[in-house]
Amino acid sequence: MERFIADLVQGLDNGRIDRREFCQAVALAAAVYGAGDAAQAQAPRGFKIIGINHMSYTCPDYTRAREWYASVLNMKSESTRDDGQRANMMFGPEQGKGGSFLVARNPGVVASGSAGVKPGAQAVIDHVCYTVPNWDEPRVRATLHAKGLDVTGRDGSLHVYDVFDYDVQIASAAAENAFRR
Amino acid sequence: MEGFVAKHVHDYQTGKISRRRLIEILTLAATSAGAGRAAGAEPTGLDVALVNHVSYTCPDFRKAADWYSKVFNLDQVGATDHDVALPFGKKGEKPYGVAANDVPLTHIICRTRPLDAPAGSGPPRRTPKAVIDHIAFTVADFDRERAKAQFAAVGVTNVRDGGPFSVYVEDPFGYELQIAGLGVTAICGAEARATCGDTR
Repeated sequence: MERFIADLVQGLDNGRIDRREFCQAVALAAAVYGAGDAAQAQAPRGFKIIGINHMSYTCPDYTRAREWYASVLNMKSESTRDDGQRANMMFGPEQGKGGSFLVARNPGVVASGSAGVKPGAQAVIDHVCYTVPNWDEPRVRATLHAKGLDVTGRDGSLHVYDVFDYDVQIASAAAENAFRR
Repeated sequence: MEGFVAKHVHDYQTGKISRRRLIEILTLAATSAGAGRAAGAEPTGLDVALVNHVSYTCPDFRKAADWYSKVFNLDQVGATDHDVALPFGKKGEKPYGVAANDVPLTHIICRTRPLDAPAGSGPPRRTPKAVIDHIAFTVADFDRERAKAQFAAVGVTNVRDGGPFSVYVEDPFGYELQIAGLGVTAICGAEARATCGDTR
């Protein structure tokens, strides 16, 4: 700002601009500068999502869900959190460093603060899609078939049902990417 | 393997699948099992790296998308007349904690469609006996009291504590969301119950 005004003063001094133009330029600069300050001073709004921490999956028998997700999607149950009513099924990066987990729980087993299953909710998560890196179409299909699953969908983006008929999508980065829709 | 074969033979005999389909399934399964044995290992599942997306179906996807955009600073991309995607970051960014180049940013797809809309190219979607009753987002620099203030600043007032390190809210369609920091993990209840709280 100081340099800008110094240039204006030099322009005024050597007659390049008149007094009126000088005043207008300084006033405009001050207004722009002030607006920037105000924007910077404004409290940040909203959150920055890093990722999905976990999903709460309520089903008739959490042990069957635990076995299915461990067998088909190689999720790993955190044994110390399996209390006979629910299991935390980990996947992805290390926990606390971007990893996620699926909480498979029996009906009525509700986390502290959660309202649990709400019949009145107007929205549902009708399926979850998981990314499989190093996608190899024949290998992925063969793996799912070997688990006894009926596979639908298209190459790179497949659907199966889990043990409770919940729709599970498995996809490659090429086939399912928000920026390539 | 026997149970697997029996199931598909039953499907064939009851007309659920064709003869050709039965042959395909059994051939694939047999060759996969053989490959497993040859490698000296049992067949395994798929290694999933991350959630690619969650499909959020509601009566008004635009209203939902606008709410998620406002509250979580998410851009809307690839809008159609019935859905829109909200990625957790900008184009070219990598998901937090992921080194691989073929794992895209997680995103929400807000959509409006019948609940039995086909899964992929398949028949109408089955009615599930399970439900994802809430989803928890990990947010940067989580602080419970600051989170409440941030929600208040964008007009969200139905905030409930979820232990010391998370809060719960409902979105405009009554869907429950949990907001947590990186410290809430699958194992923290066992290793740090006193500080983490039983929030899952």
